[in-house]
Amino acid sequence: MKSKEQRAPAISLVPGPQNGLEPENGVAPEPPTSLPVRGSARQLPASLLTPPAPPPPPHLQDYQNIIGQAQVDALRFLARDLKGKTIKMINSTAVGGGVAEMLNRLVPLLSELEVPAHWDVITGGNDFFEVTKAFHNALHGTPYELTKAAQEIFLMYNEQNRKRLQFDEEMVVIHDPQPLALVRTRQKSRAHWVWRCHIDLSNPDAHVWEFLRPFVEQYDAAIFSSQSFARQLPIPQYLFYPCIDPLSEKNKELEESQIRKICDELGIDRSRPIVTQVSRFDRLKDPVGVVQAYKLAKKYVDCQLVLAGGGAKDDPEGAVVLQEVREAAGNDPDIIILDLPPWCALEINAIQRASTLVVQKSVKEGFGLTVTEALWKGKPTIAGAVGGIPNQIIHKLTGVLVHSVEGCAFQIRYLLTHPESARRMGLSGREHVKENFLMTTNVKRWLLLFRILQQALPSRPA
Amino acid sequence: MPTPDKSMPRKPDKPFYFNTSEHLLRIGSQTASTLSELLQALESCAEDSIFQHTFRTLQEHHFIRQGFSNDFAHWILSACHEPVLAEKLASVDVREFTAIEGLRKRMIEIVDEFLKKHPRSGSHQANEPFYFCASDIVVLPTPFVAESLAGFLDGLQHVSVHSIHHHFIEARLRLHLMSNDFSQWLEEEAGLPRTADSIERIDIYTNTMEGVRQQIARIVEQVLN
Repeated sequence: MKSKEQRAPAISLVPGPQNGLEPENGVAPEPPTSLPVRGSARQLPASLLTPPAPPPPPHLQDYQNIIGQAQVDALRFLARDLKGKTIKMINSTAVGGGVAEMLNRLVPLLSELEVPAHWDVITGGNDFFEVTKAFHNALHGTPYELTKAAQEIFLMYNEQNRKRLQFDEEMVVIHDPQPLALVRTRQKSRAHWVWRCHIDLSNPDAHVWEFLRPFVEQYDAAIFSSQSFARQLPIPQYLFYPCIDPLSEKNKELEESQIRKICDELGIDRSRPIVTQVSRFDRLKDPVGVVQAYKLAKKYVDCQLVLAGGGAKDDPEGAVVLQEVREAAGNDPDIIILDLPPWCALEINAIQRASTLVVQKSVKEGFGLTVTEALWKGKPTIAGAVGGIPNQIIHKLTGVLVHSVEGCAFQIRYLLTHPESARRMGLSGREHVKENFLMTTNVKRWLLLFRILQQALPSRPA
Repeated sequence: MPTPDKSMPRKPDKPFYFNTSEHLLRIGSQTASTLSELLQALESCAEDSIFQHTFRTLQEHHFIRQGFSNDFAHWILSACHEPVLAEKLASVDVREFTAIEGLRKRMIEIVDEFLKKHPRSGSHQANEPFYFCASDIVVLPTPFVAESLAGFLDGLQHVSVHSIHHHFIEARLRLHLMSNDFSQWLEEEAGLPRTADSIERIDIYTNTMEGVRQQIARIVEQVLN
């Protein structure tokens, strides 16, 4: 065990999943109640101790400078034939997690296009959410013993919500498995029913999937985040990529002075190349592998490594991984480990923008929205070829895919010493995001789906 | 740059309506994990799958200047590590086809020929499967309708690159002609056959779609000037 003085500098504030990370299925984190212990002499500004007030949601025209007037026009034309038709979105949580974050932006934008969208959240007791959490893990491949009691709890709460909610809209969208059985009310509704599955179903626990499948098959369509997440089903399956909001705190344009100020406060030297990974301290993100790749690359090129993570305090494994990262980092003063609170979206934004390269060396991944964020900022990005990352990184065109520590190290060396190649890749990466992974594209997909369902199945008996 | 028409454009009888198309990606049931499976799937998949992975993918990747041609070639290079076959498939120019069946036949010929020469390559497992997809398409109007060559240039400069793709690349599947909507209108309505020909000869594989737009605009500007 190395002494504390020998470890790389780290800043640790509070527990909780971190902004800029793949959202988890969970609740919003609480603010800290006391000043946390810091892992190094680097001081974090006091302003980071409390979450900032959320900015108001943007309007459609606010995106015009980003996507162009022609794309805004296309959204308006798409919505024109749907004017007055309504959509209901139903999920299991109003705050925290990527689905709620996405709905917070999607619902107002659809309504602004005169396609009124309503958002309802199902209710349930702890027993329900324990079962659905277990289902969530099982659908991701964790073995699970499906009991009769678990099935009854799942069905009972779905039935309660089915009786409580109204289904008067023309399209009902159910997000994820928790409210899946609400579809049993479809016979009494005139709506088209769509299941939006945000999780990877490529290798589900067979018992849980066979229990849920009959409900899925009652929908008019299912939506997945990647081709590889889909199942063989008798209903149409569509691909909706997850998306980022270019006007959010995490992704909006920043003044150079803001970036400089934040980097100064966090002790990041902008006069030298910066290689960054933004991720929870989780073995699946391979932060130790990133440190190893940095050390191999540093034999040939000068650079700093920033590991901006979170989740080390609320997750026992996260704390262990953070310790492993510190030990791997040793006493290298150019490795900066930041354990940031979950509301540090602006800081993550600034760190990503200040970076010369961004790495996401995951060994297992959902979609990998941190990759999307880096690409959007025009950063040359090196990432593991797992999960949804190959949908975002077209090897050597919009970024580079790697499969090993050594491959990652080589790409760091190459891109730091070939800035023109890196710049071109960054530009293509940003265009790829603009075309496929922005909130406005998501709005377009929902409008397209609504129109397609209306045309294919124009009249459903109520 | 080819010489544009020397004669003045005539007043078009019919306006040019700039449209655009939007696509929603549908995940198909077919996958391929080897080149042999890819060949089988190419023979049996729906036409809209071939369209998706050739014509449509060019629209999705319109910002790439070179190095991306179609999804089959990309998968064969990145997941099957067969650069020779990938290069041959990448060299297939979708604009040489006015119907999907012809394009499918050409793709099958290339893969089949390769596997006859390299039979052991047919059963190698790819790093990741190829997922056959297709698109549901919605054609939309834009606010731009050109009643003159100047109006045409104005519309061209303001519509999205999706509209350029719709009129310039996908059009031949609608027209069943080795041409595009822009060239057709310029020749038939504005009496500018050489201009139409110059536009048809723009190389889409060494340009981004934005670059294609700019080249078309330059050709039209030459006539106007």
